[in-house]
Amino acid sequence: MSKTNNNILRSLLLLSYIVIIGLVVYGFGAFYSYLNTGADRSKMLHTEVKQVDQYLPELEWAPIINEGRNIDEQTLNAIEKDYLDAWYVKYVAFKTNTKQGIDDYYTDNASKNIYSIITINSENNTTIEATTLEHHPNLEFFSEDGQLAVLTDHDVIEFKRIFSGETLITEITEKSSYKVTLLLEDGFWRIRHLVKIKSEPYVVENLNKPLEISEIKGINYYPQANAWNMFGDNFDADIIASDFELITSSGLNSIRIFVPYESFGKSALDQDKLLQLNTLLELAETAKLKVMVTLFDFYGDYSVLDWSLTQRHAKTIVNAIKDQSALLAWDIKNEPNLDFESRGEALVTAWLDKMVDFVKSQDPNHPVTIGWSNAESSTILKDKLDFVSFHYYEDVNKLVDTYKGLKTQITNKPIVISEYGMSSYSGLWNPFGNSEDHQAEYHKSMQSIFSQNDISYMSWTLYDFVEIPKEVVGRLPWRQNAQKHFGFIDESGNKKSSFKYISKE
Amino acid sequence: MKLKYLYIAILSIFLLSTTVALQTNEVADTYKLLSKKSSYTAGDAIKLQFSFTGNTDVHLYCSNSYGSVVLNPDINSSKFHFSIPQSISKKSGILNWQLISDKTELKGQVTIKSKTSIETIESYLGPPSIEVGGTDFTMLVVIPTDDLDNPLIDSTKVDIKHQFLFNQEASDVYTKHGFSYKNIYSKTKSGRILISSESLGLNSKEYDVNVVPAIPTNFKISAERIHDYADGNQITTFKTNIIKDRYENIVSDGTFVTFFITNKDGYKSKTSGSTINGIATAKLLQPDHEDQWSVKAYVEGMANSNTIVLDYKQAVEDFEVTFSKDKRTITIGPLKSFMNQRVPDGLRVQLTISKNGIIEDQSIENSLNGIAKFHLNPDRFPKGIYKLEFTAAGITKTYTKVAYE
Repeated sequence: MSKTNNNILRSLLLLSYIVIIGLVVYGFGAFYSYLNTGADRSKMLHTEVKQVDQYLPELEWAPIINEGRNIDEQTLNAIEKDYLDAWYVKYVAFKTNTKQGIDDYYTDNASKNIYSIITINSENNTTIEATTLEHHPNLEFFSEDGQLAVLTDHDVIEFKRIFSGETLITEITEKSSYKVTLLLEDGFWRIRHLVKIKSEPYVVENLNKPLEISEIKGINYYPQANAWNMFGDNFDADIIASDFELITSSGLNSIRIFVPYESFGKSALDQDKLLQLNTLLELAETAKLKVMVTLFDFYGDYSVLDWSLTQRHAKTIVNAIKDQSALLAWDIKNEPNLDFESRGEALVTAWLDKMVDFVKSQDPNHPVTIGWSNAESSTILKDKLDFVSFHYYEDVNKLVDTYKGLKTQITNKPIVISEYGMSSYSGLWNPFGNSEDHQAEYHKSMQSIFSQNDISYMSWTLYDFVEIPKEVVGRLPWRQNAQKHFGFIDESGNKKSSFKYISKE
Repeated sequence: MKLKYLYIAILSIFLLSTTVALQTNEVADTYKLLSKKSSYTAGDAIKLQFSFTGNTDVHLYCSNSYGSVVLNPDINSSKFHFSIPQSISKKSGILNWQLISDKTELKGQVTIKSKTSIETIESYLGPPSIEVGGTDFTMLVVIPTDDLDNPLIDSTKVDIKHQFLFNQEASDVYTKHGFSYKNIYSKTKSGRILISSESLGLNSKEYDVNVVPAIPTNFKISAERIHDYADGNQITTFKTNIIKDRYENIVSDGTFVTFFITNKDGYKSKTSGSTINGIATAKLLQPDHEDQWSVKAYVEGMANSNTIVLDYKQAVEDFEVTFSKDKRTITIGPLKSFMNQRVPDGLRVQLTISKNGIIEDQSIENSLNGIAKFHLNPDRFPKGIYKLEFTAAGITKTYTKVAYE
């Protein structure tokens, strides 16, 4: 007995020694590594400093025929960059009523003018969120010693949201022209004089572009394996081509796809993904399908100083695919009204308003819509849009009334239901959910309503999905599982009973 | 049931009354701009006066060249006015405003002109030095501003004056886009141009620009030496004549001249100097044996000189070699120069030792008091027959079979 006790004691002692030594070694190690953390030597060279896009309004130089010295491209770029940054720091200053960074981009005398405005605004508790959306500078003069430049910036589109305290009191869009004198001081092109020579309210003439096809019979499309994540490494043209064939053969004529804002690279677009988007449209053309492209998926910032970046994003995508004959329409954003609560209806609407104008200016040949998540919101900006679209997941029996109600408010434009559907999930997380038969019944009645009322539709969605990213409906299993089962085709590739009603009663 | 009707009745009365109230509001809120003036001079007090009926909960947004502010009204019975702050109204340019109220969006703009009197005359001159010849120029940029730091209106006259040597010129230019400029060209003489400008009676300070000579033209060189013996001790000095540009201006001090020396074996050496008052000098140690140098100088990429030839006579005619008893200590000398004087210390003597046609060692000694000594260590050079070769001042003496015990 005592021998066992001794052995236990010994082994305990031994073990505690090992633990103590381990702790001591770990302690020294942690201390040593703590002393070795900090600045990496490579950082001394600032090799890691990356250019971050923060302000990219549209800027187009007039042909360069300035007086004085001929300017080289590098200097012109330097002037352009510092000039735009000057606008950016000014708007940051007016937003926060602080003076940060102003003296880097304005000379001492010019800074004083901005400081005095900041003083007035902070006394009155006014803040201004603003951005410029377009610049059309013309270089008037570049001095022989390369230290002074004068330019006229024509038709600068300025958008301002003016707050008194927390309350938005007005939104203003102006088109102004400025004479700008810049000096090169210790490496910065600083604004020395700024004189507004012209200003007028800016209103965009709204041009309507009708829908090409009178009756949209469509479906929202993701490949089965890569829901919400079809571009990039997952992009598989073969699968997409065969899916498109299936869609066409089932009697549909169009699809709706999504371009995620961040994963496409925000303002610096991923060229590979753009190529894939082009490929997708070519495949659709082959399958005789029209494509409605939904931009800005998962975008949620909306802050005014971010607008120029979203504008650059839209410009690149729109210009990359606007000549594709399969392109049907632009859906600016999917269900933006869901952001009203967190970002404010006025801000989101203002962004949509400007973005609709911008997309139309980049591509006058395709109609533009917004994919509202419900019928109530779909009257917002209705006069701007070429057709109205909304999503319907409510009671089938109320659809006709809702649609007709909407028709009385929107008399002159087509209305499209760009999402509707029913999940056939019933299981552990929702034992009383709908069965596949329910789903089939649902689609049957929807189709009959559509044909009776001539409604253009796009259903949600072709496949039951295996995996749903958490950004879509969160992590909760009852939501995830419901979202997985909206398809006409189940996880193992069999057509569900609803498939019969994918395009007809 | 009764209660229900009552409720509906009360509710409808309430709704009706609010609608009526709203309608009256719409009728009542009217604003009208009374101020007719639409053009001001910077610094003027700007007051925008409105007559109104109804709601006085209004603000005025106004925006000048630099930014925007929101102002509150000063109200009296049937009018209110907004006083534009001095810091906004003092900047020239368009000032646009908008009345912010629940109902109307009255907007407009006033033009603020810069003052007609000048306060400062901002000048920028560059480049600060230019080349003679009439093609290179410097540029003076002038921005006349008023006392509120606004650039004066376009077409303001600016008189740009400059003086060079015996000439004084003045020319009138007119501002455009807020500035004016003039190019001032060099003449054929180097020197300094003084520049100033004047606008509306205000004179700028004085600026100067250096007019530097153009690139050098070809030049001549000469050499100076104490004697023409190749004693390896004295120094030959090379010198250019006064180097000038094509307009006869002496080139800038510090123009770098390189002298290339080629000896009769074709080896090249170089030495260099910078010009002072157009003359560059450079030095090189004379050779220690008879030689002929040809020398040519260059200002690289721009100009070169003629070639001069220098002969150096042999200074040391011959020398003696003395072996010690064991032949391991060898004394060279005394080495005598052209007047039979012992050569100055430091003449190079070289010994090459070979055995069976293969070079075993080479050692160099410098003369001291005309004598150079070599010692061959028995550990390094064991017993055998060696060939010894002594070279000094271009003379070589050879001992083919020196036997060591």
